[in-house]
Amino acid sequence: MNKLLRKHGNPPLFYQFFRKMKLTILILTASILSCLSAETYSQTTKLTIVSSNSTLLNVIRAIEEQSEFKFFYNEKVDVNMPVSVEVTGKPVTDILDKVLSNTLVKYKVLGRQIALYDKNEMEPFMSEQQERKITGKVTDQAGVPIPGATVIVKGTTTGVTTDNNGKFYMTLPGNAKVLVFSFVGMKSQEVSVSPNSDYNIVLTEQIIGLNEVVTVGYGTQKRGALTSAISVIKGDLLQGQPVADLSNSIAGRTSGIIATQSSGEPGSDGSNILIRGISTIGNSQPLVIVDGVPRNYAQLDPNSIASISILKDAAAVAPYGMAGANGVILITTKKGKSGTPLLSYNGYAGWQNPTVLTKFVNSFQYASLMNAAKDNEGASHVYSEADLQAYKNHSDPNGHPDNNVLKELITPNAMITKHNLELSGGTDKVNYYTALGYLSQDGMWGPTNYKRYNLTSNIDIHATKYTEVSISINGRVEDRNSPAVSSSGIFYQAFRTPPIAPVKFSNGLPGGWIGSSVYGDIFDSGYTKNLGYTLLNQFSIEQQLPFIKGLSVKAVLSYDYNPGDSSNPGSGISSFERQWVTPIPFYTLSTSTTPYTYTQAGNGGPSKPQYYENFTQNQAFTYQAYLNYHNTFGKNDLRGLIVLEERNTKFSTFGASRLNYDVLLPELNNGSSASVDVGNSGYSSEGKQESGLYRLSYAYAGKYLLEASGRYDGNYYFAPGKRFGFFPAFSAGWRISDEKFIKDKLTWINNLKVRGSYGESGALAGSPFQYLRSYSLYSGASVLAGNPTTGMVENSEPNINITWERAKKTNIGFEASFWNGLLTAEADYFQEKRSNMLASPNIVVPIEYGVGISQKNAASMSNKGFEIALGSSHKFSDDLLVSLNVNATFAKNKLGQIYENTVTYNNPNRRVSGRPMGTQFGWRAIGFFKPEDFNQDGSLKSGIPTQSWGPVHPGDIRYADTYGPNGKADGIIDNNDIVPIGKSFVPEIIYGISPSIIYKGFDLNMLLQGAANRDFYITGAGAWPFYSSSSATIDNLDYWTPTHQDAKNPRITSSPAPNNMVTSSFWVRNGSYLRLKTGQIGYTFPASVVQRIKVKSLRVYVSGQNLITWSPIKNFDPEVSDSQGMYYPQQKVVSVGLNVTF
Amino acid sequence: MKKNHIKTIIRYIIFSVLITFFALSCKNSLDNSLNIEPRNQLTDASVWANSTTADIFLNDIYGRLFDGNNCWDILDNWTDISMCGLFWPPSKTSTVYNHEYNATNGFEMRTGYTDGTTEPFEWGHQYSFIRKCNIFIASVNANAANFSADWMKTRLAETRFLRAFFYNNLYMAYGGVPILTEALNLNSQGDSIFHPRNTADQTYNFITTELGAIANDLPNTASDYGRITKGAALTLKGYVELFNHKYADASVDNKAVIDLGVYSLYPDYANLFLPAGINNNEGILFRLYLPPALGGRESLRGPCFNNEGVEVCWGGVNPSQQLVDDYAMANGKPITDPLSGYNPQNPYNNRETRFYKSIVQDSSLFGNETLYTRIGIGSLNELDVNERSDASNTGYMLRKGTSPDNIGAQNWNNGTSSENYYFFRYAEVLLNYAEAKIEANSIDQSVYDAIDKVRQRSELPTVETSYGTGLSQESMRSIVRRERKVELAFENKRWWDLIRWRTAEVEINKPIMAMKITKNANGQWVYTSVPAINGNHKFDASKNYLFPIWQSIIDQNPKITQNPGY
Repeated sequence: MNKLLRKHGNPPLFYQFFRKMKLTILILTASILSCLSAETYSQTTKLTIVSSNSTLLNVIRAIEEQSEFKFFYNEKVDVNMPVSVEVTGKPVTDILDKVLSNTLVKYKVLGRQIALYDKNEMEPFMSEQQERKITGKVTDQAGVPIPGATVIVKGTTTGVTTDNNGKFYMTLPGNAKVLVFSFVGMKSQEVSVSPNSDYNIVLTEQIIGLNEVVTVGYGTQKRGALTSAISVIKGDLLQGQPVADLSNSIAGRTSGIIATQSSGEPGSDGSNILIRGISTIGNSQPLVIVDGVPRNYAQLDPNSIASISILKDAAAVAPYGMAGANGVILITTKKGKSGTPLLSYNGYAGWQNPTVLTKFVNSFQYASLMNAAKDNEGASHVYSEADLQAYKNHSDPNGHPDNNVLKELITPNAMITKHNLELSGGTDKVNYYTALGYLSQDGMWGPTNYKRYNLTSNIDIHATKYTEVSISINGRVEDRNSPAVSSSGIFYQAFRTPPIAPVKFSNGLPGGWIGSSVYGDIFDSGYTKNLGYTLLNQFSIEQQLPFIKGLSVKAVLSYDYNPGDSSNPGSGISSFERQWVTPIPFYTLSTSTTPYTYTQAGNGGPSKPQYYENFTQNQAFTYQAYLNYHNTFGKNDLRGLIVLEERNTKFSTFGASRLNYDVLLPELNNGSSASVDVGNSGYSSEGKQESGLYRLSYAYAGKYLLEASGRYDGNYYFAPGKRFGFFPAFSAGWRISDEKFIKDKLTWINNLKVRGSYGESGALAGSPFQYLRSYSLYSGASVLAGNPTTGMVENSEPNINITWERAKKTNIGFEASFWNGLLTAEADYFQEKRSNMLASPNIVVPIEYGVGISQKNAASMSNKGFEIALGSSHKFSDDLLVSLNVNATFAKNKLGQIYENTVTYNNPNRRVSGRPMGTQFGWRAIGFFKPEDFNQDGSLKSGIPTQSWGPVHPGDIRYADTYGPNGKADGIIDNNDIVPIGKSFVPEIIYGISPSIIYKGFDLNMLLQGAANRDFYITGAGAWPFYSSSSATIDNLDYWTPTHQDAKNPRITSSPAPNNMVTSSFWVRNGSYLRLKTGQIGYTFPASVVQRIKVKSLRVYVSGQNLITWSPIKNFDPEVSDSQGMYYPQQKVVSVGLNVTF
Repeated sequence: MKKNHIKTIIRYIIFSVLITFFALSCKNSLDNSLNIEPRNQLTDASVWANSTTADIFLNDIYGRLFDGNNCWDILDNWTDISMCGLFWPPSKTSTVYNHEYNATNGFEMRTGYTDGTTEPFEWGHQYSFIRKCNIFIASVNANAANFSADWMKTRLAETRFLRAFFYNNLYMAYGGVPILTEALNLNSQGDSIFHPRNTADQTYNFITTELGAIANDLPNTASDYGRITKGAALTLKGYVELFNHKYADASVDNKAVIDLGVYSLYPDYANLFLPAGINNNEGILFRLYLPPALGGRESLRGPCFNNEGVEVCWGGVNPSQQLVDDYAMANGKPITDPLSGYNPQNPYNNRETRFYKSIVQDSSLFGNETLYTRIGIGSLNELDVNERSDASNTGYMLRKGTSPDNIGAQNWNNGTSSENYYFFRYAEVLLNYAEAKIEANSIDQSVYDAIDKVRQRSELPTVETSYGTGLSQESMRSIVRRERKVELAFENKRWWDLIRWRTAEVEINKPIMAMKITKNANGQWVYTSVPAINGNHKFDASKNYLFPIWQSIIDQNPKITQNPGY
């Protein structure tokens, strides 16, 4: 603060807004500035300041909080001087006159800036000697003008702000040496005064971001004052990526998130997100909060997201009590900002293709493999030489087809397009943000596609000086279409169908394989149409209570139709689903006639069409009452928050069906009216939660930070009297960099903070009403007297004591920034002990007990790890800015008590307790049996352990003998020899690397995302040739023969030998991968060019998703979700896009 | 200045106290405000309030009767009369590869039932059904005021029957088992929930005593078709007695069923197992089927290929040559009788009608298509000599209970069949009676009458016409056993018959034989009986007469002792 003018007290929202600005929005601010002349503002703005026995500083702050005025002053002005003022509804000049009377301080109003100066000093703007006029322009690194930037003569209070073109005109006092250019969110820049009278200044974004406002639970906090582990993803990073589901944009963006995308199917291709791995055997999904209320976020329009906060440690999640243990994802949508209406369009069109498709053998290879298998078995060949020739030379495409089944079915380059229009602006009284979005995503085949229509509207009304009202409506319609056969059914059949089977004959008739037709499953099976409706409505009113300084109350009411809140059971999406299930005829050909004759061979669907309708409705009502307090006493900063919350959820569903349609019009009324053909079903449920929460934060001199928070939380899940729990957390931080010994000596350290937290949070476990002894009804129990009956079953025995999971979380971290942002670092060590997890201790009762005994809150688990995020940014020249961000997370869990049965528990190799959850167990493969392992008669030589899955032959997989009934190897390979063979499918390590380069108008940014310490297991058709009458993959061509003993696969048989199918390390694959998740190259046209076409800004870009994948696995996508590969694969997308602001 | 600070602090304190007070005073009412009644569950009070809801509880127990028509690997596939045509049925994986039955593997006698919840010899399942019965009995008795005396009498008897039936499944498989007549409760019973096995005799006595006690509470004819009747109770009692070689008792009880006068043989042996025969006077204990929700899946068991190469059934049941050889000639004589007229090179000519109604053989018509199992003419149903497809491994396929009108993927996926599955039918009672009398060596005319009644339905001459007069006990024994093998084929009876007769090691250890029909050098079709591929079963007489008890059962209840030899 030495010689520099000091500026402080920007209202958080203002600051946050500019930190996150899209360049286009800046222009709107400029227009406000130009709309209102300086005099008008200082005269029309009426302020009320009641500040008796206070300091000048407090008065300044009070004025800044109530108005857009900003004060500038230097060290000569004693802002801590005691003052007293009580004025109501007066212009600022009146207040200052009153406050500053009898002091040495004078003031001058310059628009919205007020300079304070010592009366003995030269009054700003009074120095007329040797003055000269200068002009200039302030832009950001992309060349976009920055309106409202401050230009100050260093050492004085003389200054101006830039106009809406970023330009300024200024009269320099004669003694001016250095100009200081500054703007919120940008790094200040000092420029020596030169004889030149034209200044072109480029400000770069400030990376340190201590004043950045971060959304935390039930409020906001400045990053510098945080004592908890929270990472933030900014909304602009999510935009322009050609992905439909927001959850796919999060992986790799920040530390602490472990994400796996398990499907690429339009409308259900979201990632499974875990925060800091898995800490529970129960539900491990994080809580998702959108604008303060539990809601799903995946299908929000990425363009309307302002930021995503990831709350990771106990201190961060404490305000969520019984729902916070798995971490919390906080989504904030965009708000309007005062200014002229600003309209922008964002759109892209992309082309999707599977990242990896399992490669199967061709017909010739298939037939040859099968014959080789028969040779092994001493059986006659299935395919004659003529067959083989026909498969090879494709001379008989109908009788001897050669199909690459998946390729045959898939339409390449399926389109994904998105259009988004945003309009925002506002006046002194009302701000608004509204956006319309449309997304259309085609599937790998015509009948599958997804369309989404989003509408967002956030309106903030400054109803009175002390009252702010916000209304938010966020709605969407989702239209999911697919064949009546599910994608898993389609892939199942596609994987089983060998290349020799006809997919479709040349005359267009579908072929079949084992009773169904994969072609028909897709194109002739009817349809499933699911229309999802979502409407999130929120009303909030915030009232300052001026009688206690810093106190305000706020009420929030929200009504959500389909919150899609994952933490609430049964709250799937509200939807109306219609399913039309038709016969799926398929044909065979008879080769005994010329030409061939085709006959309908069967029907993979029902014999007559069937029609189903299902309606599901979810509603949530949330009521929140806030009491907020923030005040400063000298160097003491105190914040307090109390919130009371009630949440009510309602679910209901019903369905109707008709079978045996003669009329091919899919409406319920048109179906058969025979009673057995008419069906219906339905039920409803309700849930309720009552909570109170608090947070107290105290900071001394901005250096020593303390926070306590917690929640008293009650849930209808549990028995009366056992419904409420208390979940407190404490945290502390120390801004070492603000200590004198660093501040004065180690100036290259811009920020260094250590922080720690400890606390308890909870998670709902099991299902509601487990405390009640109950019976459930079901239909179709038995047939009596010719009628189907309803049946009733006793549910698991009740447990009156059932309660929530408890998580004790510890976190220690540091944040640092060096050399003005050249290097930023943040690292955290965390550990969690989860207890009270629900487990079924069935092993404590005999199997004769006959019913599940109630679960007990007895299981435990621990999870620990660390995460690190590094950032670097360097401006090589005005034209070139390079930055790199790297983050990595490591999390490893360990199971404690889980009621493991004695068989596995007593064998140290098989014990599940004490190992990470998801550890894969099986036999350890030690290569193949060799011909010399066998006697003449084919029996195994003595001394070689025998395996218990049938006779073995050379080329079969041999397993290690590790254990026996006496704890030693016993010469028999059986269940005793099971050992851990692989890690969990959930990666222990996940990392992201995101380099970015900005050169003149060009920008390039990438996100490389990887995972390590992860295994997956392949089985079935994905691993074994001819498994269950299915095909073979190209990997299967490399099989064991006496002359090729170092093969990848065991000897070939016409159906896999049971010995080779047992779960073993042989089929475990390393699931590590690194992929270029996102890559984007954009070009922003210079302002001079776009202004000619009456456009404020214009950017075009090419973007890609999942562009390149490096993985030891070639025949599957490494995020494969099915051990056989029978699933809708992840998609690689390349797109072109456009952003225009008018 | 100071004063003002104090004023502010006091304000804060008052405010905090108010908030705290508000929060505390709310606690109870808050807790109550979270009271929500579950809407899709019922409570004890509502279930046992009247007979209508109590009946719903019992409906569920009826549904736990073995779902025999949804199986593809029937129990007969573990015996000499059939095998499975699929690649990996339980009956093959547990035997072909010389699987030792042991405590880890169990007996693996699983029927491939599609959801497995009614597997008849699964210890855990049977005990969960027994628990349901115990709860019903105890709850109805405890709430007697809510029910009419008549309703209680009948329903309690039905439930006790079902409980005895489930115990009998366990008894036949494992011998003595813990007899539990009330639901276990960890909270109130503590360690006494661990019961040791009762002896086989105690278990047998429990079953027969219970059945004897309730028989007279049950109606001769059920008010709702499908409910338990007096006949069912007596039949099961007679069957258990026969199983336990209590021949005198068995003959009395089976005679009592005959004397009830409510049962008669359904005239058409084929239709009895098809939808046409759903309503009949032959069924005594059976499970009813009603598509779509409660249909059966005969396509799991029927002949594989039809309709020019389409797989219309899984081929779960492949009858063996051993069984085929036991079908008599139409003249009633066994094929081993030189006077029977049997020609081994034209083996399917002039056989008794049950053969044609039970089995699909080479060149026979199924629906409107002739199926060929002979080798070398390119038929997909050709005898599967190297386990290449689901086609028959024996050259025979199942016709009994399989209708060409019902089968196909739709049927095996959705269960569209409505025929009954019989646990007991009158024909068996007649044969049980005859067997009991023969074994008791009190062979009289009633024995001949009983067997002849069964033979006459299938247009066979009488025993005496076919086998001569003055037959010894030994002859009569083999006659009734042959009759039984043929009449009750594929009804999941054979395993228990072999166990009862103590002949399992003899019959089961023989390889399953297939009929190979090939063209010889002269262009003639030659019939040769050969071992079927993967048709070897294994039975160890030293221990296999009882199933092993799964180790997990013993692990969870150390008081349970393993059966000998395992």
